[in-house]
Order: sequence, then C-alpha cells, then structure tokens
Amino acid sequence: MSAEVTKSLPFPIAESARSGAPSSLEEQVISLFDQFRAPLLRYLRGFQIPVQDAEEILQEVFLSLFQHLRLRRPETNLQGWIFRVAHNLALRSRLRGKRRAGRFSYAPEVSAFAADPAPGPEEVAAARQRQQRLLAVVHALPEQDRFCLTLRAEGLRYREIAEVLGMSLGAVANSIEKSMVRLMRSEGHSNV
Amino acid sequence: MSEYHLSEQDLILAADGELPARRKAEVAAHLESCWACRARMQSLEGTITELVRARNRELNSKLPSADGPRALLRARLAEAAAVPVRRNWFTLPVTSWGRMSVAAGAFVAVFVGIVITFAARVNAEAKPRPITTGETRPITLREVCEYGKAQVISPDIPEDKQRAVFAMYGIKSPKPGEFEVDYLITPDLGGTESIRNLWPEPYSARWNAHVKDQLEQRLHELVCSGKLDLATAQHDMAVDWIAAYKKYVPASAR
Repeated sequence: MSAEVTKSLPFPIAESARSGAPSSLEEQVISLFDQFRAPLLRYLRGFQIPVQDAEEILQEVFLSLFQHLRLRRPETNLQGWIFRVAHNLALRSRLRGKRRAGRFSYAPEVSAFAADPAPGPEEVAAARQRQQRLLAVVHALPEQDRFCLTLRAEGLRYREIAEVLGMSLGAVANSIEKSMVRLMRSEGHSNV
Repeated sequence: MSEYHLSEQDLILAADGELPARRKAEVAAHLESCWACRARMQSLEGTITELVRARNRELNSKLPSADGPRALLRARLAEAAAVPVRRNWFTLPVTSWGRMSVAAGAFVAVFVGIVITFAARVNAEAKPRPITTGETRPITLREVCEYGKAQVISPDIPEDKQRAVFAMYGIKSPKPGEFEVDYLITPDLGGTESIRNLWPEPYSARWNAHVKDQLEQRLHELVCSGKLDLATAQHDMAVDWIAAYKKYVPASAR
C-alpha cells in the first residue's frame, strides 16, 4: 500500500558488505533506516509513546539489525523482523511508563486540515472530511485491530503481520476484515 | 446474471492478494460477471485509497527531520563496527574436516558439561526465592487494559526499597547494571509495591530482566484480548515466571 515499502529491498545483503567492508554494511543499514523510518514512526504512533522514545526505539532497531546481519543471521523477511523488533521495544517502552511531554496524538487533528493554506474547492473539502472520518474510525478500533490495519497499510502481508503480533494468520484476516467493514460502514456502505 | 454475491471476506482477501490460487480465480471470474460485486470492490479500493491518503496526510507532515537521527545512527554504527564480531562456532571457515570433527567433539563435550553444571544455577538465580511470593491489589480488567489506569504505581522503585530488597537477598554491593529490582507481578497486571512483590532480577542470566519484560507484555496482551484471565496471569507469573514465559510467549517472538 505505501509506496515507500513497496520498493524492492536491497536484500540479500552483499557478501562484501558483511565481510570485507564493514562500512558497506553500515551504509546498507542506513539505507534501510531511510526506507523504513517513516513507516515505523507512523506505526509507533499507535502506541502513543513520546516521539523521542519512538526515535530511540528506531536507533535500537537498526543497531540490532546491524548486529543481526553481521552475525549472518537469517535475512528472510527482514521487513517483518524490523517491525517485530520495533513492536516489542515499543510495548516495553510503553509498559515502562516512559511518558513525557511531546507525545504523539493518534486522533485526527482538525487543525492539521484547517491549517492547509490551499483553498480547495468543495470536492477537496469533502475529501478531507472523508479522510477525517476514516481516521476517527481507525482511532476507535481496538488496539490489536489497529495494529493489524496499520501494519497492512505499511505494506506488510498477513503472514508478516501474524509474525509481528504473535497472532495466527486467521486472526489477522478476521481482524482486517472487521476493521475494513467498519471503515466501509462509516462511508455509508451497508456492506462491502 | 450471478445468483450469488461474494462475501466481504472474499472481497477483502482478494483486494489484499491473500486468497488461495483456486479461490482467487473463482473470485476474479465472478467479478467479471457481477457488476454489483465489482462496484463493491471499487468502493473497497476507494476506501483503502482514501485511508492511505489520510494517513500520509496526517502523519507525514509531522514526522521530524531524519537528518539528526540518521547522523546519530551513523555514529553508533561506526562505534559498533569497531567492536570485532563475536562469530559463533558454526560461522568459522572450514579448512579441514578432520580437524573440525575433533574440535567439534571436544567443544560439544565441554559445552554439555557447562550446560549441565550451570543451567540449574542460572535458573535458580533468575527465579525469586520463596520469600518473594508476589502480591496483588484489587484491580479491574478495565483498569488493566485502559492505558494509564493501571499505572498508579511508578515503575521506578525508590532507592531505599531497592536497598531493602538487596539486603533481604543478602546482596551487599550490587554493581550497576547487574540487577534490576523488579516487580514479580508487574503493576500493569495488578502487582503491588510491597517488598513481597519485589526481587533482584539479574540482567546477565539467560532468564533475565529483558526476557521477563517480554513475558509481562505478552500477558498484558493476552489478558486485554480476553484470551487469559487476569487471576491466572498473576498466579502464573508469581509461581514460576520462567515456566509462564515458555507457556505464553510464542517461539517466534522470543
């Protein structure tokens, strides 16, 4: 779904990057950081943790990834691996109660739309209202459903989502179906 | 004309490319023939498109610049790269099968000896002694699951209480980073700050504070998703948290 994660990943990591030229591996990890930073930060907003903590979690994720690759551990489904590590660290951060000022707000903010300087026609205003409504539905979803939907929106397949969240494939499919039905109903469709 | 229509599940799975091959072909054939289902599919795709736009619009504009975090990561990676890789046995280059076999045999023998000798000790260190029985406070499921409501107890344990716990366990001068004085039953699941619910948890043992954090998160998820009742979670954590970890944390998340 997201264009950023549908780009082909630079895997497998080149052998030269791991053995002969460590700086090359560092560059690959930086490249992955650039590719996944926005999707991960968007995902971590669902945990309502401070932005500083989310950034620190990303640092830990990519340092762990560096060690993971240096130790020649499996490279299959690195996207899922990255999200799973970020998810676990975020849960831990949240449970540790590291709550400070500057927290993300997951709720859609009216001001963000109102502040848009482009005075659009009525269709634009209607589209924005529609988007606000959809975000409000997402915000009201049970946490696990919201995680599933957000991971799907960030381009993960059901199997990858199941691995990240420790759920069965069927549970992921049910969760996404339930969320999509709610979204569709908010749009006035009685059924999908 | 079609006599039936596709289910919501079929449409969503088809949109997500998650249908099994055979069903995928059936759904595609149905969509070709059924205008109503095709319209439903287009509505679904339209909602997905708007949701993606809404998320990007709402979130991307607020993302902090990547320059600082990228520079910090680059510095940390350089620091990490300066430390030699601790390769495990199986990544060593093989030069002679004979030599490798003999060395592997010796390694296995030594390893098994070490494991047998120390496994019990490590596990014993990782488990609280019977003096730490765990203690809970009255708490509702809603308080546990609505974020913030269970957080009436600070995760930071006061210094004097930590000293009392170390004294109770006969630890005279703990080194920084050696132990975490932790709640046996986490406050998020109704544990109290009583000394009976506190113990010095080693960081260095296999079953360490970080592993227990994982269990706490998992139990919280299970309780709040209705898959495990709160009393069982509290009981299992208090009785043997290592056994609880093996029971509740899926292998894929370890």
